[in-house]
Amino acid sequence: MIKSKLRILSISLVALLVVTSSGLVFGAWYLKQLEDKVSEKFEGRKWVFPSKIYSDSYFLYVGASLRSQDLAEKLRRLGYFETQVAPKAKGEYRIAAKAGAVEIYLHDFDSPTEKFKGIPIRITLQGSAIAKIESSADNQELFSIELEPELITGLYERIWQERKVVKLAEVPPLVVKTILAVEDERFFHHYGIDPIGILRAMWVNLRSLSFQQGGSTLTQQLVKNFFLSDERTISRKIPEAVMAVIAERKYSKQTILENYLNEIYLGQRGSQGVFGVWQAAQFYFSKPLTDLTVGETALLAGLIRAPNRLSPYKSAEGATKRRNVVLAKLLDDNIITRKQYDAALLEKLPQRALIKVTNEGPFYVDYLRRELEENYSNAVLTKEGLRIFSTLDLQLQRMAERALVEGLKKLEESHPALRPKGDEEGLEGAIVVLRPQTGEIKAMVGGRNYGRSQFNRVFQAKRQPGSVFKPFVYLAALMYGGQSGTKYSPDTVVNDSQFTWSYDNQEWQPHNYNNEYFGAVTFRRALENSLNSATARVAQDVGIKRVRDLAHKLGIQSPLPAVPALALGAAEVTPLEIAVAYATLANGGSRVRPLAVKQVLDQSTKVLEKRDVKMEQVLNAQIAFAINQLLKGVLDRGTAAMARRAGFTRPAAGKTGTTNDYKDAWFVGYTPDLLAVVWVGFDGPKKIGLSGAEAALPIWTEFMKNATASMPVTDFVGPLVKPDTDDGKCGAAKTDAETGDCVAPAPPAKTAAGV
Amino acid sequence: MTKAILKFHPFTIFAALCLTVYGCAPQPTYRAPAPPASSARLPGAPVTPPPAPSQNLPTEAKIREQDIRSKAPATAPAAKTGKEPTRQASVNEARGGAESTPAFPPPLADDSSLLAKITPATSPQRAASLRLTEEGRKILEAGDPARSLTRLEKTIVIDSTNPYGYFYLAKAQHRMGRYKESLNFLDVAESRLGAEPFWLAEIHALRGENFRAQGQLQRAEASYNQALRLNSGNRTAADALGRMQGEPLSAQPATK
Repeated sequence: MIKSKLRILSISLVALLVVTSSGLVFGAWYLKQLEDKVSEKFEGRKWVFPSKIYSDSYFLYVGASLRSQDLAEKLRRLGYFETQVAPKAKGEYRIAAKAGAVEIYLHDFDSPTEKFKGIPIRITLQGSAIAKIESSADNQELFSIELEPELITGLYERIWQERKVVKLAEVPPLVVKTILAVEDERFFHHYGIDPIGILRAMWVNLRSLSFQQGGSTLTQQLVKNFFLSDERTISRKIPEAVMAVIAERKYSKQTILENYLNEIYLGQRGSQGVFGVWQAAQFYFSKPLTDLTVGETALLAGLIRAPNRLSPYKSAEGATKRRNVVLAKLLDDNIITRKQYDAALLEKLPQRALIKVTNEGPFYVDYLRRELEENYSNAVLTKEGLRIFSTLDLQLQRMAERALVEGLKKLEESHPALRPKGDEEGLEGAIVVLRPQTGEIKAMVGGRNYGRSQFNRVFQAKRQPGSVFKPFVYLAALMYGGQSGTKYSPDTVVNDSQFTWSYDNQEWQPHNYNNEYFGAVTFRRALENSLNSATARVAQDVGIKRVRDLAHKLGIQSPLPAVPALALGAAEVTPLEIAVAYATLANGGSRVRPLAVKQVLDQSTKVLEKRDVKMEQVLNAQIAFAINQLLKGVLDRGTAAMARRAGFTRPAAGKTGTTNDYKDAWFVGYTPDLLAVVWVGFDGPKKIGLSGAEAALPIWTEFMKNATASMPVTDFVGPLVKPDTDDGKCGAAKTDAETGDCVAPAPPAKTAAGV
Repeated sequence: MTKAILKFHPFTIFAALCLTVYGCAPQPTYRAPAPPASSARLPGAPVTPPPAPSQNLPTEAKIREQDIRSKAPATAPAAKTGKEPTRQASVNEARGGAESTPAFPPPLADDSSLLAKITPATSPQRAASLRLTEEGRKILEAGDPARSLTRLEKTIVIDSTNPYGYFYLAKAQHRMGRYKESLNFLDVAESRLGAEPFWLAEIHALRGENFRAQGQLQRAEASYNQALRLNSGNRTAADALGRMQGEPLSAQPATK
């Protein structure tokens, strides 16, 4: 009996020993795991930094056209705020309508190549042009200024954490003291967890029968943010406490405090989360930490508890109340004097509209990202905090988006057959906007709705260009002449009648729109009215291979079959290729490369990459001028005359495009300074049944009217090749587009009515 | 017969051109390098008669020669015959010639100030573009071509017809060692430039610098010569030709 009891006892003891030892071993293993985790975080990479994409900068100069409402909108987007008095601090502006002036206190701005110091300036307007720019500080006249680029979006994974890491020494003592006073006043006296703090919080919460105070130390908060979720459960609280103790044992209070000040979440700006005290000071007050007032410091520290609920952007009342509580605490703890306290209470809260970061221009960003991914991995792009300066003009981008979406909607309203039925695909479209002189892509809309389809039709969709291709035929004719010996000029008479083109034992017969043929027509009229048969005859005479080679020379990269139908655009190209080829014409024969990325900087502002404007004179400038004059006729008298009736009156050239099967409708049009290509159609085989003039031109016209409203009116200028006067100057003499002498005005238009 | 020879013989025409120009022109500002090029560059090559006009010229040089012809002063009757001095002859002229005969017109007045081109009649775009070009030029001269490029690119955005913007873009590209890009910008600058021999000379001189950097010495020489024909005071071209004197032609890479 006794024996068996002893046996049971010994078995129990052994079992206890085994369990205890196992527990200890497991506990030690678990602690080691947590310690490794803490060490890894504190000693390794703590934060990831999303790369940020910026628009192009905005350049203003004396004489430039400027509408004050456009400038005001731009300033608001850049985070400037309007005041009723003369701007006194960086980031303020005032529109003095009566004086016809805009006063701005510019932000500091570090461009990729230089640093601009924010100064107060005054822009005087005369009508809708800038008459004068001067520094308000010393009345010194300035001839131009540059506004900083706008943030378009960030490249990040999961969430966008926006922060700038600062050293503890860079944080003003008042900021540190205030945060400690409201978040963990016994920070320098505990070892990661604070039993006294917990008891006090429990007592306060018990008395109020609600959650009023947390017992978490600043170290626990940091650990939670670093490793754990937001849930308030025991299973989370225990490892949090253990890791806090481990962190305190391994690292100094200063290290923990510095990490906390950089880690803490302090607000939301659209898709961008604001993290760390430096970033918060910028977000709420547009100033560095060192410039914060007592009231601003208190407001910032008070936000930690509930950044979004207490945000001054959301509730001035709530934010003021919380700030005053913090100020009272600072006064109680003798951190500030009564005088400072009284002054801080009178401080006004920042009164500004919240400018959200909303991931603008998603199609453009996708294009840009593809370009970047040739040189940078996804990990680098999403974690290394690169600053990418692009060529995008956000104002033009928004105009392009609006023009496309509204234009397609109108088309569906006026042509019910275009509306999708059931699960059918909807009508789609694309716009790409280029600056011909530089190749900079100023706007890109690859589809109607990015959320629904991310397929970017600007550079991913290969479509038949139709008649948009025809100018290349006419250009080849002007350049090379015909194999028959014909030297083509705008007034050369060509035959627009039915014919059959035999080649390689095959036959091809082009047909005109509505099967209407006009017989003998001028070269000019054939292009302006996009006559298929006449164009095909010209192409046959010039040689289709020459036409194909010329198209490649201009910037078409897709393979082009050297078959007769190519003359009428029977090949597949992207809208971006068409834009580049036409930009060569607009740019006086200089082919530019399309440019989206301008500079890439790393976090230390070192320039990793700089893409400069590149161009090559591939056409005689005189020939380019001549074709521009011809294509002006398309808008003035030809298939795109509707643009003029719709109110787009400035000098411009362009070409409509409709494919034979009515699946694609195009319009390419340009002024000397801005080019836009519009494509409308369905992704699938469905026909749109409308011409380029009916479907694409109205969208182009709407966009260009808005886009060029504040641009100076310019016309295409011919090259100055040979002086025609003895003194070597052109004088008043005018010469035509074919001789190349001096600035050739547009050759007088000959109507083809009588032909 | 004698009359016919005098009328048609190319050397007669060349001599007439040289004498006419020499008789009318003051001495150029920049010293034409002294030793005759033919002896330094082409040992054993006959000084007379010169090689057939443009026989070995690269295509581009031919075109430029034709351009020069069209711009040649009309004072020499020979010029109207359309007969051009040969490349070799032009090199001789650039270096003082075998007879040390200066063959270039007098140097042009310095027209390099862009700000001086801004008048009340200048369009705001051109004025802003010129001011920016001037800024870009200063940055370039201070030794920062990358930064100047950023500034100069804006000049053509504001006014795409500003030839000086393209010229300084070409200069910045040259400084960065991008000779092909520089040549491309020079082509554009030339197409945008009017009858401004001073600036045409600058363009040709910089073109010469690019060709020279690419090892295309014959094309470089042709460009320098063109620059000097347009403006005998073009220091870049004169200095470069001076530097090239000692370089044996046999060491030159083949012209493309």
